[in-house]
Amino acid sequence: MTPAPGRSRTVLVLSGLAVTLVLAIIAGVAFGAVPISPGEVVSAIAHALGGGERTLADAVVLDLRLPRVLLAALVGAALALAGVLYQALFRNPLADPYILGVSSGAGLGATVAMMALGTSYMMRAIGVPVGAFLGAGLTMVLVVRLASRRGRLDPTSLLLAGMAVSYILSALTSFLLVLDREQMSSVVFWMMGGLQNRSWEHVASLGVMLAIGSIAPALYHRELDLMLLGDERAGQLGVSVERFKMLALASASLVVAGAVSVSGLIGFIGLMTPHMVRLALGPRHRLLLPASVLAGAIVLVVADLLARVVLAPVEVPVGIVTALAGGPFFLWILLRKERTR
Amino acid sequence: MSASDRHDAVIASAGATGAAPGALEYVRASIGYGARIIVRDASFTVAPGEFVGLVGPNGAGKSTLLRAMTGGASVSSGDITFGGVSLVRMPERERARIVGVVPQTQLATFSFTARAYVEMGRHAHLGRLATPAAADAAIVDEVMELTDTARLAVEPVDELSGGDLQRLTLAQALAQQPRVLLLDEPTSHLDLNHALQVLELVRSLADGGLTVVGVFHDLGLAARYADRISIVADGGVTSPAPPASALDARVVSDVFGVRAVVRTDPVTGSVAVTPIVRGADLAPAVSGPRIGLVCGSGAGAGLMRRLARAGHPLYSGALNRGDVDHAVAEAVGAGMAELPAFGEVDDIVAADVRAGYAACACVVVCETPFGSANLPNLQAALDSGRPLVLVGEMDDQRDYAHGRAHALWERALERGAQRVDSEADVPGALGRCSGVEA
Repeated sequence: MTPAPGRSRTVLVLSGLAVTLVLAIIAGVAFGAVPISPGEVVSAIAHALGGGERTLADAVVLDLRLPRVLLAALVGAALALAGVLYQALFRNPLADPYILGVSSGAGLGATVAMMALGTSYMMRAIGVPVGAFLGAGLTMVLVVRLASRRGRLDPTSLLLAGMAVSYILSALTSFLLVLDREQMSSVVFWMMGGLQNRSWEHVASLGVMLAIGSIAPALYHRELDLMLLGDERAGQLGVSVERFKMLALASASLVVAGAVSVSGLIGFIGLMTPHMVRLALGPRHRLLLPASVLAGAIVLVVADLLARVVLAPVEVPVGIVTALAGGPFFLWILLRKERTR
Repeated sequence: MSASDRHDAVIASAGATGAAPGALEYVRASIGYGARIIVRDASFTVAPGEFVGLVGPNGAGKSTLLRAMTGGASVSSGDITFGGVSLVRMPERERARIVGVVPQTQLATFSFTARAYVEMGRHAHLGRLATPAAADAAIVDEVMELTDTARLAVEPVDELSGGDLQRLTLAQALAQQPRVLLLDEPTSHLDLNHALQVLELVRSLADGGLTVVGVFHDLGLAARYADRISIVADGGVTSPAPPASALDARVVSDVFGVRAVVRTDPVTGSVAVTPIVRGADLAPAVSGPRIGLVCGSGAGAGLMRRLARAGHPLYSGALNRGDVDHAVAEAVGAGMAELPAFGEVDDIVAADVRAGYAACACVVVCETPFGSANLPNLQAALDSGRPLVLVGEMDDQRDYAHGRAHALWERALERGAQRVDSEADVPGALGRCSGVEA
């Protein structure tokens, strides 16, 4: 009879993360070619919300910096959410959209859409996320098929199949780009995981996809817990396993597609964040899901800040920063797993 | 330990969910994985509150029979029903409120606390947005108390022993408030003490109305706790029967390839299955001359085992049912004249026994006490005219026949019987009597 401490801890942890995220966003907006004080950032947001006169600083904050930083937060949140879902469904702490090849699939889908739909703004706004979603979904199906033997999914095969498919799809994307030299440089930069020159439209498009993709995980957090006991056991305890998997994988593909279509391939956020959060807070998804989403947002906002600071005024694509941090993290988990075996 | 008080509450609240009472029924169910059928035409019924045990060799499909009920194996024809409703086609959530399962092994790779793990059993009873309420918490507390796991509540399950995890998994299944409980070797990770505790609990839950089907490796435990037993072998399943008839010695040797003594245990009153020797060890007794034994009260048991293992056909005279030597003679396949308990040898039996001993190369008189009941065996051995080996001394401690045993003993010695001090000397003595090699 001890539900009380769990509840208050949940509130404490989530509000702590939310405050940290707000501070990270303010810091992210404040830093740049023209430094803006945190106070100016807050007042600019207040002006935007409450009307009133706009200063030059306000314009820089609202038109240039804020969309970019908010986009970083949304992308981080989306990738972390997808990571939580993959790790639960495959019972594999190493699963994440990048390693499973889903990001590459979404990237290829988005690239094909961009080339096929021409330069019409409306066509791109709708077509690119749709292409990314189809690419992500089909890749997931392909990777699971490749890693299954007689209905059983081998964890190691899953990672190997994911990585192999990821290389193939990335190569195909590069091949397409060579064919179409005009677009090459912009798309290549996008593929490396960049957040430059993003607008409120990108924020809105990813915001909508993330919101839709969050519905099922929020409603079915207990099913995610049960999936960790294995498919058969989850079924015995009342989960419609196949249907739930479809729903959860579709949700994951949707948020990955949203993230990839606005920011290209940013790796390891979906791996690192849920893993660290689980170590700190335990595996129950009622807390793990929202905490990972907030932590993912914080991590990517901070990574983006680092990407701008390290070689300032030159910007490093944020995907390179996350890969530099995430690669060693991946190895650390892998070695830890081997040792405890 | 007031387990019986508390399990009533579990059953009572299970009943309160309003499901109709019903029997569990396999209706000509063919079960397997994909196109591969493992068990064909399974047809049997388990009544409410009944505990049926499934036994059989490895790989015969015991677990498959259970897994078919919850979708882990496919039912290619026929059906499995509860209260007339198909469990096979029932939505998982609804089924989980009827059927609870304790699988053989359980993954514990993520560190839920033991309490959170047990609480997962409530899933099928919780609304989509509901969090576990006080009533759910009370049920979780209760099943953890019942399974003796309450003290583990805050431990992470991935750091617990296999036995603790198995009892927590039972608690998880009981938290479902099931009408039917399926146990797949529920005690495989448990030491004897905990195994018995778990089975006592399950037995008391069955007595309270829970329908139980359990897969057992240990025939003795199956016989002791199940009301009826089905044997799963050769792609089929026998109709459940009471342990004493389901597990007779012939079935055990046919199904498992093990010779066994099946008898009612005098202490527990349940059927006990004791394997004797692996089938391959106890060659059909053909590799030596036939040896007769005058025994009884367990005095011949050691010698019978030894001679049987050396390959001698044996004849052990008249023996009463209930005598230890009778059980051993039966187990090693020795010939004998079977008497009811406390029955006496009449003239007809005496002639029979004399003929039995006469067919032996040599007769050993074991170090058994003699009374009026078994004195005729000694008489018959003497009358058969075969060479005798006498073990030990005949003194007042052995002769309860008022000197008559002593008289027969003396006569045997006069006729040239060999006397040895102990059982260990018998093989040597047999070697000296007309070329018998023990």
